[in-house]
Order: sequence, then C-alpha cells, then structure tokens
Amino acid sequence: MSENNADVLEALQGSVGEVSMHATADEIVAVGRSRRRRRSLAGVAGGAAGVTALALAMAYGGASSAPPDAADSATLGAVHIHEVGYTVDTKADGTIHVTWDKQRYFQDRAALEAALRQAGMPVVMRVGEFCVGPGDDATLDPSGVGPGVDKVMKGESTGPDKVTFVFTPSAVPAGKQLFIGYLNSAQLAVTQGRPGSVERLVSTGVTLTCTTTAPPAHK
Amino acid sequence: VEQLEFGEFYRSGQAACLRAVLASVGDRQLAEDLVAEAFARAWMSWAKVRGHPAPYGWVVRTALNVRTSWWRRRRRETVLDGALEVQDTTAGDTVLDPVLLAALRRLPRRQREVVVFRVFLDLDTRATAKVLGIAEGTVAVHLARALATLRQHLVARRVLEVES
Repeated sequence: MSENNADVLEALQGSVGEVSMHATADEIVAVGRSRRRRRSLAGVAGGAAGVTALALAMAYGGASSAPPDAADSATLGAVHIHEVGYTVDTKADGTIHVTWDKQRYFQDRAALEAALRQAGMPVVMRVGEFCVGPGDDATLDPSGVGPGVDKVMKGESTGPDKVTFVFTPSAVPAGKQLFIGYLNSAQLAVTQGRPGSVERLVSTGVTLTCTTTAPPAHK
Repeated sequence: VEQLEFGEFYRSGQAACLRAVLASVGDRQLAEDLVAEAFARAWMSWAKVRGHPAPYGWVVRTALNVRTSWWRRRRRETVLDGALEVQDTTAGDTVLDPVLLAALRRLPRRQREVVVFRVFLDLDTRATAKVLGIAEGTVAVHLARALATLRQHLVARRVLEVES
C-alpha cells in the first residue's frame, strides 16, 4: 500500500477500537459439534429428520431422532445464549432451539423461562400447579401434553444427559401461550419418581385456574 | 488435539475477525453473531479451513456472506412489511469513527471487502485475492479506488473542521 495513503490507513485503523468476542472457544466448538452430530445423524437416517413429541417422553428415554437443523438467526434482536448447562438460539426460520442438561431442565426453570421469553416464546411455568384459562381445552394425552402443543414445542433426548427442544413461537395461536407445569416432589408418583411436566396451551390476559392435583398417571 | 488446535486458532484471531466484521457492518452485536457463526462453521469444516492459505480470511468472508443472506432476507421482509427501519445499535465505545465507517460502508461491495481484508485483517494482496476469488491486480485496483474515495471524505471533513 502506498505511503501516500498512510493518513487514510491510519484513520481507518483508528476507526474501530479494541474488541473481543464474548463467546469462548469451547462454546463455539460446542455449537459446531452439535451441528456436526445432527448432520451426521441426519445422514444416517437418510434425511428423515422428524422430531418426536417431547413432554415427558424424554424423561422416559423416549425414542428420538435428530431435529431439523436451521441456520442461526443473525437478525437484530436474535438471542444466542450459551451457558454451560444450556443453550438458547433463535434461528432464521423463526424457531428457537434449546439444548438443556436434563437435570437443569427440571431444576433451573427460572433460567429456562427467562431465556425463552427473551427469545420471543410466550411461556408461563409453574411448579406443582396445573393451570387452564376460561374456555381452554384442559385435556391431556397420556404423556401429559395438551392439544396443539406438538405444533409449538418438539424435542427429544439427544444423549444420556441432554435434551433438545425446538420451540415455534409463530405456531402459538393468537391469545394463547405455552403453559409448562412441573411436577413437584410430592406429585412424582405419576412418573414413577422421574422428573415430569405437563404442557398445554392456555389463554393470555386472563386469570388462570390452577390445581395441585397431579395429572393422570403417565404412560 | 483438533479441539486444542481450533481453540488456539479462535483465541488468536477472534479479535481481529470481529474488528474486521464490525468495520463492515457497524453493529457490535450483529458482528459478534456473524463471527460466532463463521467460527462455528470453521470448526465444522476444520480439516479444510486449517489448510486454507488465509484461514481468518475464510472466517471473515463467511461472516460477511452470512450477513449478505441476512440483509437480503431482511430487505424482502421490509418490502413486504411496507416499512424501512434500520436500527442503529452501534456500540459507541468500539466504533470510534462512525462517520468514516459509514463512508466505508457506502463503498461498492468489492471495494469495501478489499479494505476489510487488506486493512483490518492485514492480509496481503495475494491472500485477499484468494479469499475473494479475484485477481491480484483487481484487488489493487479496488483498494486504490476505495482509499481515494475515503481520502476525499477525510479531506472534506478537515475542510469543514477548519471552517467551523
């Protein structure tokens, strides 16, 4: 580069201060490794990358397959939270991908709720209470999942201690939100002592009616 | 071993890559997202990237390509929405000369990319040509034109400063 341009080059060099990435190398590797694994699984499965309904199935070690991969969203307001125990990433297709250490999923509910809300997922979580709004469909399938939940929340076990969820905020009907009710220790009989939860769609902007009566025994 | 190697690669070059991308996009959070995405892709293709003649150039090029896709998508969505609103989320403490960087971003894409690779990433002409897939002579031409335009901008600014 010509010395005549020294002043322009100096001005350019000085136009951006010292910066550093917040993400660590381990976090970058974790994301890349996860994608490698999913890509590999998708290849083995011949591209049949359907997802299984989650609910309590993952607590029972339910069958799983790789979730559909999607490019990370780089839009303004995109959420990419990579903690040791969990990751939350908004994707370009509008979904939210969450990987979670299973124990943390049930023990660190506040963090999950905050991360999902930050990512744009309307969700309300309770422990030991199972709520519905006026006119909401209160039925549950044998796995503790209400009607329509499969459209907004899918997931599967992706390892001995890991679970992956795909949330789709755009699939939540207008005026509804996802309710997740975790069983407390006294209610775990229905899951033979394993961590469990109930998911259903409930109305927003209304007073929810809640019960502490555990749902029917899960199958 | 592979992970240790990549970790060192990331730690050594992440700041320069972020700086280069930030100069190009002007938004700290967006730049971080793009660079993180590019490094994740580098890890996924590490066997190829580690042998690249300019691996950090590969990362920045990937980040800017992701940005291009994002911008095209956003522009389509904006047209559909019937509204244009570009948020200014520039991080004030890292972008020290936003006016000059705005001038940089107004350059034609190739000129801007050449400046990013040659000036901010400090790649030589050959490596820049390799990363961008253009001739070395073309790199030199783009750089000369870009610097000439930016010089005019600096001169105009100095005149205004003197007059005021």
